[in-house]
Amino acid sequence: MKYDVVIIGGGLSGLVAGITLQKAGKRTAIISTGQNALHFFSGTFESLQEPSQRIKDLFLEAGVRVHYNPGVRLTPMGTFKEAALSLEDIDLFPSEKIGKRVLIVNFQGYHDFFSSFLAEGLEKQGMQCRVRFLNLPELERLQQSPSEMRSVQIARTVDPLWEKVVQEVRLLLKDEDTVILPQVFGLADTSVPGRIRQGIPARVVFAGTLPPSVPGVRTQILLRKRYQLLGGTYLMGDEVVRAHVHEGVVHSVATKNLDSHYVEASEAFILSTGSYFSKGLVANPFRVYEPVFGLDVEYKEDRNAWYNPSFAGDQPYMHFGVKASADLLALKDGEPLQNLYVAGSVLGDTHPEFGSAAGQAIQSALFVADKILGL
Amino acid sequence: MKLQEFTSSKHNFEECMKCTVCTAYCPVLQANPLYPGPKQAGPDGERLRLKDPYFFNKALKYCLNCKRCEVACPSGVAVADLIQAARIRYDHTPPKLRDRMLASTDFMGSLARPFAPLVNFGTGLGISKTLLDATLKIDHRRSFPKYSGRSFEGWLKRHRKEQAAFPEQVAYYHGCYVNYNYPQLGKDLVKVLNALGIGVQLLEKEKCCGIALITNGMSATAKKHADHNVAQLRQAVMDKGLKVVTTSSTCTLTLRDEYPNLLGVDNADVRESILMATRLICEKLEQGAQLKFKADYHKKIAYHVPCHLERLGWGVFSERLLRGIPGVEFYLLDSACCGISGTYGFKKENYETSQAIGEALFSQIRALSPDVVACDCETCKWQIEMSTGFQVMNPISILAEALE
Amino acid sequence: MKPNEFDVIIIGGGITGAGTQRDCAMRGLRTLLIERSDIATGATGRNHGLLHSGARYAVNDSESAEECIRENMILRRIAAHCIDETDGLFITLPEDDLGYQQTFVDACRKAGISAEIIDPDLARRLEPSVNPSLIGAVKVPDGSVDPFRLCAANMLDAKLRGGQVRLQTEVTGFIKEGDTVVGVHTRSRLTGEEADYYAPVTVNACGIWGQHMAEMAGVKVNMFPAKGALLIFAHRVNNVVINRCRKPSNADILVPGDTVCIIGTTSTRIPFEECDNVAVTPDEVDLLITEGAKLAPSLSETRILRAYAGVRPLVSADDDPSGRNISRGIVCLDHEVRDGLKGFITITGGKLMTYRLMAEIATDLVCKKLGVDKACETAETPLPGSEEKSYEAVAQKIWEAPTTAQKAAASRMGTRAARIRTGNKRDDALICECEEVSVGEINAAIDRLEVSTLTDLRRRTRVGMGTCQGEFCACRAAGLLAKAHGCVERERRDLEDFLQERWKGNFPIGWGDTLREAEYTQWVYKHVLGL
Repeated sequence: MKYDVVIIGGGLSGLVAGITLQKAGKRTAIISTGQNALHFFSGTFESLQEPSQRIKDLFLEAGVRVHYNPGVRLTPMGTFKEAALSLEDIDLFPSEKIGKRVLIVNFQGYHDFFSSFLAEGLEKQGMQCRVRFLNLPELERLQQSPSEMRSVQIARTVDPLWEKVVQEVRLLLKDEDTVILPQVFGLADTSVPGRIRQGIPARVVFAGTLPPSVPGVRTQILLRKRYQLLGGTYLMGDEVVRAHVHEGVVHSVATKNLDSHYVEASEAFILSTGSYFSKGLVANPFRVYEPVFGLDVEYKEDRNAWYNPSFAGDQPYMHFGVKASADLLALKDGEPLQNLYVAGSVLGDTHPEFGSAAGQAIQSALFVADKILGL
Repeated sequence: MKLQEFTSSKHNFEECMKCTVCTAYCPVLQANPLYPGPKQAGPDGERLRLKDPYFFNKALKYCLNCKRCEVACPSGVAVADLIQAARIRYDHTPPKLRDRMLASTDFMGSLARPFAPLVNFGTGLGISKTLLDATLKIDHRRSFPKYSGRSFEGWLKRHRKEQAAFPEQVAYYHGCYVNYNYPQLGKDLVKVLNALGIGVQLLEKEKCCGIALITNGMSATAKKHADHNVAQLRQAVMDKGLKVVTTSSTCTLTLRDEYPNLLGVDNADVRESILMATRLICEKLEQGAQLKFKADYHKKIAYHVPCHLERLGWGVFSERLLRGIPGVEFYLLDSACCGISGTYGFKKENYETSQAIGEALFSQIRALSPDVVACDCETCKWQIEMSTGFQVMNPISILAEALE
Repeated sequence: MKPNEFDVIIIGGGITGAGTQRDCAMRGLRTLLIERSDIATGATGRNHGLLHSGARYAVNDSESAEECIRENMILRRIAAHCIDETDGLFITLPEDDLGYQQTFVDACRKAGISAEIIDPDLARRLEPSVNPSLIGAVKVPDGSVDPFRLCAANMLDAKLRGGQVRLQTEVTGFIKEGDTVVGVHTRSRLTGEEADYYAPVTVNACGIWGQHMAEMAGVKVNMFPAKGALLIFAHRVNNVVINRCRKPSNADILVPGDTVCIIGTTSTRIPFEECDNVAVTPDEVDLLITEGAKLAPSLSETRILRAYAGVRPLVSADDDPSGRNISRGIVCLDHEVRDGLKGFITITGGKLMTYRLMAEIATDLVCKKLGVDKACETAETPLPGSEEKSYEAVAQKIWEAPTTAQKAAASRMGTRAARIRTGNKRDDALICECEEVSVGEINAAIDRLEVSTLTDLRRRTRVGMGTCQGEFCACRAAGLLAKAHGCVERERRDLEDFLQERWKGNFPIGWGDTLREAEYTQWVYKHVLGL
């Protein structure tokens, strides 16, 4: 199969690059080993500069509304983390004082939302908190399974019932100015969080849950849909097993599903395979390597130096990444491959100018897409 | 020394990161709370079963084997294989008469075919449906696929000579559906391949791929089918140097992947030569072959990638072919399970679950209101036609129809 | 008698202390157990969990071997729910001397251990994971034992018989009247509260920390700490214990235990100061994998869950500090006879396997001192939970159609599983998905088994012991603990400590899937949850 550009890795970075290139008229394919880190997305971008209109548009055209409002995000443990950009349903506050009196509402039997930690964290900041549980009979069906009272399943159940949720919360509400709900709304119907906000006469804050992240899954679905509507080919659940490289040029890749039916790109390949979790980087007892092309990886030789013995401390291994030129062309044996670009967290911290995590995923992907488009 | 040089465990289930992604994509979980879910039934359960088979949970039977968990898994865990393999290894409940009947698609087909009009009349009657429901627990709301009076094999044998005249040859694994229920699909394939200069021949004697046997707890019989079929495939591939094409995504997945992964039947030497016909046609077109289409063809087509084609990763080929037909208005439906999963949805106890699962797909189809739904799977076809009233055609049949 | 007065105080919540408390309680004594941290935190919980047949000691230490096989048979009777009767193989590899096999078998038989030479083919069938190149195999009645469960069951039985337990409580000094120990000063590590307790006899059952405790009481016991490192693999590779049939050496035992299997161990003498903070080095990890793969080759490709190390309390019978007279056997010191200090006993040495015998010896001495004349019954009376032989029988008896979590609970708690609240949505919700631990089981542990932290809860229920090492269950369980203890702030710190404790065992083997999981855990806790 022949494309202009083949993108290996279908997470945030791969999708941003894919959408950008399709929009510019390129024929592209994304090869993705299953779903990706967007499923654990907090919904906020930490180290992003004021995003260009281009980034906002890219998201907006996919139906993902984001807002730029540097401040702090309320975490599910009742602490605050700095962030600059967030999905529409996730608030960023100027300070840790998010309200005076707070009503925290959870669903009965839902263990992945930490109302008591939220309350304790906010009370430490001087807020008054009350925790209440909603008992929706419709959710009882889910609880027949001991393990499946999970965010996504709840969202599927409660999205159509948003009016009922609003009514119930209104009944619980006394004199609170702020209501905190778990982020389990707006999976298929993106208008639900907004409707809930309108229906409750207090500020409504959606706080995170254990994975899967409903805003993250929604973002993945919308971006993928946008990419496919633009004509992109998304090969889900496939994995590149071999690359054919000749004299510094990548010609094609072989995948698990397509075996001898090679995937070729006439202009460029993009490697956006993520870090260890998605096997963009692989560690064995002796080294850290990049498994598809065997690219150069920035890491420490001494295994002992990969870890910080303190869990809370900064972990050196999380900074390792594939080496790339200033143009983000991948390096192999010290030389750049002529048509292989690298984007997203597989870069580790090798190019700090692109930020980290979700911010890096977007900015490096746009940079790479521009290079391919000759911009 | 191999000291943990392999980055990932060779025990595939250990690669599970407990990330829960699979649970978000399991169609059964959304409809049936009695199912423990792919994570619990698959990698989590596997550790317990390795401790003691006593931990095997019979509720694993609710798994559709749609393999969507495997497609979604970021870690490459063969979740559905783990579940099906556990059922094969630990569930020794003898299958019910109903399940044995539903599973024996070729046996039932060869029995029913000579009496097709009678059988079709009989199974279509309200009274028989009520009887089947009451006695065998086959849901009365289901319609049985009609049996064809003449088999596809008989038809192709009659055209053997003209097919042999084509310079290039492929073997066709047609499956039970084409042979007993819908020979037209086989004829459509012959038309399309002939248009590319390729003649079609049968395997010497194919048997049902056996997927229904596997899912209905008759893996020993399934293994016999697999041994037989692999020998047949070898004859075609190794002795005659032919590729083997198929038109059913489930048969293809079974021949290629379920045989080695679930039944322990080694097919490594023939696996890569078994292709969906759509893939072969795409390859031919990429190599420069051309198809001539009707000038006045016009159709609004909604394409549903069946679960097993999604797992094969080959939906892209059908999509390409359909998009390539001039006059086709193409819509790719959001990937979702139709809920039938072979014989699963026929069982009375699964009917509600089956329909609930399919609803996400049905509503998309209703909203689009296409002229035809395209799909590479016969059981999806029954389900979608029964549940939405829209006609469903295999992409090969659409191609054949659009050809000049 | 005042509430702070007892017949006997036992210091140390390892298996020896818990066993001694149970024995004392069964003989009608009013008992108090004091432990500075949690039960089974020392050597008790940091070994293979091997239910020795004694075969390992048969050639070199026939006394230990005989003790082991006797206790082995007793534990099968009294601790059924803590024991897995797996049997064991002693395999001879091509590089080993096959001649040793006969010496070994003869020694086993002399010690009363049934040891049967079997055909290598049969060995391969009995245990498909065994190194297929083996040239000889002997089958012995080894098994595995869950030390946490065993310790908890002993403590629980003592409690059911009126015994009191103070965990997270440190002994800060001894109360003496002349040359007699009459009590202890303590301080709670949770609240800082100080309290004094009195008893005519105090038993020092502190394992390696017994040296320090004796010093505090004014007598000298010389301990020789030896570190042993072990690795836990993520699933049960073998169902039969695999040993090497040769002179005992490093990493030559692979023990299946619950859902995992454990390879060990190394043996390194360490300075006393390191006892509280032993770490596993990369060299030890490499050695364990390399040697382990000789027992079961697939270990070289199996995910490793954690690395950990324990300290063996080797003790010198006299007060010679050179360690020439080190004993691996049981040492019970009557300090009245030995040092002229009345009311103080040290029980140490020994093994997890022989804890009951150690407890019996210590209790006999306590009873003698108190003038109590009641025979030991611990060899006949099943521990609470062990009244049925198998967990299948337990589960079937309690529930008509047990769920997976109910089966798992029965396998962990034995007949005590009947006390779990279950059968309704709220209690049946899973907290730990890897090990199938429900809300009901966790609440049952919190109610009865002296749980103050997540790590304690892990030892009681296996929460967080599975593949994900607490990724989801830790914070879910923290929610339940916060509710039970009514203190969220403390629970937040506890959660951090728990994650740190998990990481401590993960990073020495941080590659492959373990590192992937670690990265994911970092995302979840640091990024998403904002801990």
